[in-house]
This record gives sequence, C-alpha cells and structure tokens, in this order.
Amino acid sequence: MLFNSIDFAVFLPLVFLVYWCLQRHLKSQNTFLVLASYIFYGWWDWRFLSLILFSTVVDYTIGLRLKSQDGLKQRKALLWTSIIVNIGLLMFFKYFNFFVDSFVTAFTFFGVDIQARTLDIILPVGISFYTFQTLSYTIDVYKGKLKPTTDFIQFAAFVSFFPQLVAGPIERAKHLLPQFEIKRQFDSTYAMSGIYLIIWGLFKKMVIADNCAFFVNQIFENSAHFSSLELFLGAVLFGLQIYGDFSGYSDIAIGVARLFGFSLMVNFSFPYFSRNIAEFWRRWHISLSTWFRDYIYIPLGGSRGKRAYQIRNVLIVFLVSGFWHGANWTFIAWGAIHALLFLPLLIFKRNRTYVETFKINMSQVPRILLTFVVVTIAWVFFRADSIQHASNFILDMLSFNGITIDVFYKTAKSQLFALMILTSVLVMFWLEWSSVQKENKEVILSPYKAIFIAILITFMGVFKNPSDFIYFQF
Amino acid sequence: MMKVFLKKLSVLGLLFLGLTCILSFASLHVLRGSGFYKSSFLVNQVPEDRFDYIVIGASDALTTLNTKTIDSMLSVEGVNLAMDDTSFPSHYLMLQHFLSEGKQTKYCVLAASYSAFDFEGAPLSNNDYRFLMYGNRAYVSDYYKQFSGKTANILYYSKWLPVLGVSYYNTEIFYPSLISIVNSNKRNRFDDKGNYTYPVINKPSRMIDFKTAEVAFKNAYVQKIKALCDKNNIKLLCYITPSDSKNAIPKSVDFDIINHSNAVNDHKYFYDETHVNSIGREICSIAFAKNIVQQGIDLKNR
Repeated sequence: MLFNSIDFAVFLPLVFLVYWCLQRHLKSQNTFLVLASYIFYGWWDWRFLSLILFSTVVDYTIGLRLKSQDGLKQRKALLWTSIIVNIGLLMFFKYFNFFVDSFVTAFTFFGVDIQARTLDIILPVGISFYTFQTLSYTIDVYKGKLKPTTDFIQFAAFVSFFPQLVAGPIERAKHLLPQFEIKRQFDSTYAMSGIYLIIWGLFKKMVIADNCAFFVNQIFENSAHFSSLELFLGAVLFGLQIYGDFSGYSDIAIGVARLFGFSLMVNFSFPYFSRNIAEFWRRWHISLSTWFRDYIYIPLGGSRGKRAYQIRNVLIVFLVSGFWHGANWTFIAWGAIHALLFLPLLIFKRNRTYVETFKINMSQVPRILLTFVVVTIAWVFFRADSIQHASNFILDMLSFNGITIDVFYKTAKSQLFALMILTSVLVMFWLEWSSVQKENKEVILSPYKAIFIAILITFMGVFKNPSDFIYFQF
Repeated sequence: MMKVFLKKLSVLGLLFLGLTCILSFASLHVLRGSGFYKSSFLVNQVPEDRFDYIVIGASDALTTLNTKTIDSMLSVEGVNLAMDDTSFPSHYLMLQHFLSEGKQTKYCVLAASYSAFDFEGAPLSNNDYRFLMYGNRAYVSDYYKQFSGKTANILYYSKWLPVLGVSYYNTEIFYPSLISIVNSNKRNRFDDKGNYTYPVINKPSRMIDFKTAEVAFKNAYVQKIKALCDKNNIKLLCYITPSDSKNAIPKSVDFDIINHSNAVNDHKYFYDETHVNSIGREICSIAFAKNIVQQGIDLKNR
C-alpha cells in the first residue's frame, strides 16, 4: 500500500480509530498493529508475508535462546544463524541474479563461455529494511546491549510496524521495541506534529520528486541527445527527486508513527546543507549510515588503529552501503565515489569538523554548493542503467558541448513543470534553511504553513500517474 | 486529548477544503468563460447558431479536415469540434453539448479511422476532463457516471467537490485557467474554426502498399450518434480518415460515407502512422469538398 494512495487514505483513519479504541489493552493494541501491518504489506503481495513471519520467528527464537545460553561458542552459533538466515534471504531475493550474471561476464571476459540460468525472482518490497532491523535486534541481544523480549506479539509488531516496514527508517530494537512494551498515551500535540510531518513528506514526494521525474526520465533515458547544461541540470533534478522521494517517505513514516504514539528516529536532516561529504553522511539516510557505523565500521575497528586499517574500514562500509542499495555495479561505483570523497577528510582529520555546528553561516554557502555539486555528480551512477551509461553521461556533461536548456521550455508542458519545480524547490529550501538556522532537526510547520503546503500539494502535486517510491526497489 | 486532536484536525481540514474548493470553483469558472478547450470554445467563441456541418471525432478528425478549406470551396459554414485523444463516447458527448447550446447543423461529420468505426469498446477517454467545467449539466454528469473506475468517479463527484477533478487534473485544468485569466481568447492548439494541423517533417517519398480491411461499423456509438442525429433532424456523414497501410472497404449502411482511407498514398504526407501533415490535410479537405459535390450531398442549411 502506497502512502500517496487512496487505499492508504482509507486505511490510516480506520486503523487509527480502532487502535486508540483499544488503548486500555496493550496486548490487543499490539496484536491489532501486527494485523494492520500485515494487511498493509499484504496489499502489495500477500505471499511475501511468510518471509516477514519467518524472519520474525527466527530472530525471536534466537533472541530467547541467547538469553538462556551462556557458552560463547553456542551464542556465536546462534548469532551466525541469524546472520546467515537474514543475509541469506536478502542475497537470494536481491542478489542471486546479479551474482550469476557477474560470474558469466567474468568467465566470458577470460574466454570461457559458460551457460548459466538466472531465476525470475520478485524482490520483496522492504526486505533490505526489515532484515537489517531484525539483525540489529539479534546482534544487540548477543552483545548484551538489549534484553530479549519474551512477548512474541511485541516482537512481531517491532519487525512489521507498518509506517516504517517497507522503506525505513531502519529502527534499532533498543529504541523501538521498548515502545511496544509500555502503554501509549494519546498526546494531541504530538499527533498534530505527526500530521504536519505527513503533509511535509507528501509535499516532498508528490510535488518535488514526482515533478522532477518528468525531466529526469527524459534526460537519463536519452542522455546522448542533451547539452552539457541539460545533463547537469538533469543530475541536479535527480538529486532533488531522490531526496524528495526518500526523505518524503521517511517524514510520512515518522508522522504516521506519531499518530500511534511512537517515536521513530530522524532519517534525513537537511542533507543538501552539508558542508562536506562527512557531514552529508551524518544528514542523509541516518538510520542506514548509523547502522553500518554500529554493526560494520566499529566492529571492524572504526577509526582506531593504523591509518591503513581506517582507510580499509571506510572503503568497506561505503562499498557495502552502495551494494545494499541494489544489485548493480552502478551502486557499488556510487559507494566507491563517496568513499573516495570521504577519505581525504579522514586522512586530514576533517571528517568531524561540523559535528558540533548544525547552524550555517552565510560564509559556508560556497562549501555547501561544492558538496552539492560532487554529490550530484555521484548521483549519476545511482540513476544510470550501467557504468557505461553513467560514464558517458558524465563525460558529455563535462565536455561543455552546449549551454542550451531547450528541454525545460520546448513545450508549454515543459515550461509548466519547470516553473512548478522551481517554485516548490524554493519553498522547500526556504523552510529547510529556516529550520537549520533554528537548529531544528526537522521542518516544523505552523498550522497556517501546513495549510499553505497542503494547497501547494493540491494544485502542484502529481496525482494522475505518480511514480513509485524509489527506495521500494531497495 | 483525542477530542482536542480531532477538533484541531477538523478545523485544519475544513479550512483547507474551503480554500481549495474556492480555488477549484474559480478555476472551473474561468475555464467555462474561456475558449481554451473545445467545450468552452463552442460556447464562448463560436457565435453562429446555425451550421451547414460540424466535424466530430478524435485527433485524426482534428488534423485531417480543414473546415476553412471546405467552407471556401463549397461556400458553406462548418466548425471542427474534434478533440484529440478521445473515442466515440466522447464524440457523442460533444454532439450532445453542441445541441444543448441550442445550435443546429444540417450535417454531422463523424470522422474516424477505419478501425475506430469497428472498435467495440466504449472507454472513458483521456481528455474527457475537458467537459469538467460543465459537470453540473445532466448529460455531462450522466456521461461520467456511466463509467467505472477511479478517474470516472473523480470526474463524476467533482460536481459536488470540484477540488477532486481540479487537483487530479491540475496541470490540465488549474494552470490553463490561470492562462485564461490573462488571455481568455487563448485556445489549446486549434484555430478559430477548431482546426489543427501537424507540420511537414520531410519524410522521404514512399508509395503506400495498401492492404484491404473491411469496415462493418460495429462500434455501437455509431448507431447512438445516428439516433441522436435523427432525433434532431441532422444527417450523419461518416468520414473514414486516411491510413498509411489499409484501404477500408465499408459495408453498406443507412448513412452517407466518404472513404478517404487510401486518399493519401505517399508516406511523405503523413506526420505519423495515423495523422496526415498539413499537405495531407489540404489534399483530404479538397478531396472531401469534391466528394460532397460528386455524391450530390447538399451541405447547405439555408
């Protein structure tokens, strides 16, 4: 079920009403949440509910066994069972065909012609998100950072909680699971903040992302026919599209969770105001980058030890992060580019420069623009169909073979879309800038601003042929 | 706490709904007074009430028959009411709309491709939103009501809640209404007689090898349009538009037919597979006028 669909507009108020009617019965409330979450997910394809249930049962059982098991060997075996099951599911559904194709290509390259069969596998929506979420539970229990839950319903609700089930934020068990253990009290101010966040998320998705898609699809699908400036603007628009799409989803998810009395972690904190790449990764997809930090980077040694190990750790994390996004070399290249942009900061110890300073000075604007440009160029790999396509796109973009921008005004429709994008992006950056200056972690709308934004959605949003959320494919 | 929340949400919702409904109503009002789409063009920019003929159809009708050429050759008065991306139910609706305005015509030229005359489906067309500003009229409302599905429901219920249709079709309704505020004479790609043409794109000359295709006029709306014409003393003339592959062989029927499926026999006169370019349009329009004379059809309504 999509957040920007009529189905969800009916589903949400119904679930909201029944949920709060069950306020006095925690167990019933949690059971109802599991049921609602399974309906939400099953609306897309009910067959894959079995995968969520399987993952839930496995990690719940392993959590309980870890509690009763003292032997290190046995505990390790249990942890590895969880890792193998979760990563195995992910590998099969997401990466099986990629590995087969890559092996065939590699053998062909060395002159060995082999025949291999790929499978017609459907990628279950959200598998990358919920497997990471359940894994974090088992790892935290193994490390003794978290007591395993003995309530299966609570655990099932934690794994399948519908607002963040299919595209995050990837919650930590330590943060979300205890919220299922305590009785939720309805707070109207908190719920209203959720409504405002939902409106803001819908604006970013339906107005910014979906309108940008109009040009992005044209430019990326026929990149050889556009001028350098059009290609650059196409990449910029993709950067805005993916930001509007994904951060919009996260905002809606956080807002919906607030309606049910839950707090989800901030996933995007104005990433396009970052002053360097390190700061960008502290502001972009925070739930994933902190997951990699806590469960891969730090266990590998993090920034401790020799410089060579630090560099290795950074490279591993960025490459794995790229690969997490999709079974394509383009994502790995995207991760590698970010690693190469990050490493100089690590080497010259500038990676934590802006940790304490959230607010921005006007004098820092050139750095923000520079960071935006390099992030934009890297996005080309993220959007392109292949490495070859991305390379050609960037080469054409850097060849300065023209500064025409015909694509944005060749028809009345193009002019209209260009105008809508310009207006909406200015509104977004205006509200985000003022939030950053107030050191808010999210855009906080007043009731009047919320109405203004809702009106913009009504008359500028894409309702007829909306694009799917991009991160559903991950 | 829940009461406070619901109260706040209701106030917010009502304010939002009120403002968007006012804007949507204003948007439809402006479009209703403009000539942007064919429906309001007919009402506001076509002062004549008595025509010798009108052309209804889809994009191939819009771009094949130039009423200005036909009028000058035959000294008659016609108007092209065809709309792109529409099908026979929309043509029927356009004829109803024409009649509801109190206008009269002697002939109704139903122009369509050979395949459209035999198409047995009756779907809602992509451009049927162009009647949204007349959604309160019974024939428009009934038209939307006969279809099922999300889009048809949005169009139908817009008569009570205009924001539904205006937001769903915001680029097609809301922004054209803003343009119409500035210039109420602005038309959406058609001239003052309702005609539009595709440019010549320098295709190489290549003769068309026509294959025959029988046309049995199986589309139920042909009979519906015929019945509506009969009821209003209008004669129906079916015009088969040029094809770049098929020579249509019409089965005998009880209305006049002009068959131009093979009238344009060179690819260079086509813009794409189903639309002739401006030269092809002139060939067809001249041939149409000649056929009218040859077949002894008296278009004149006075």
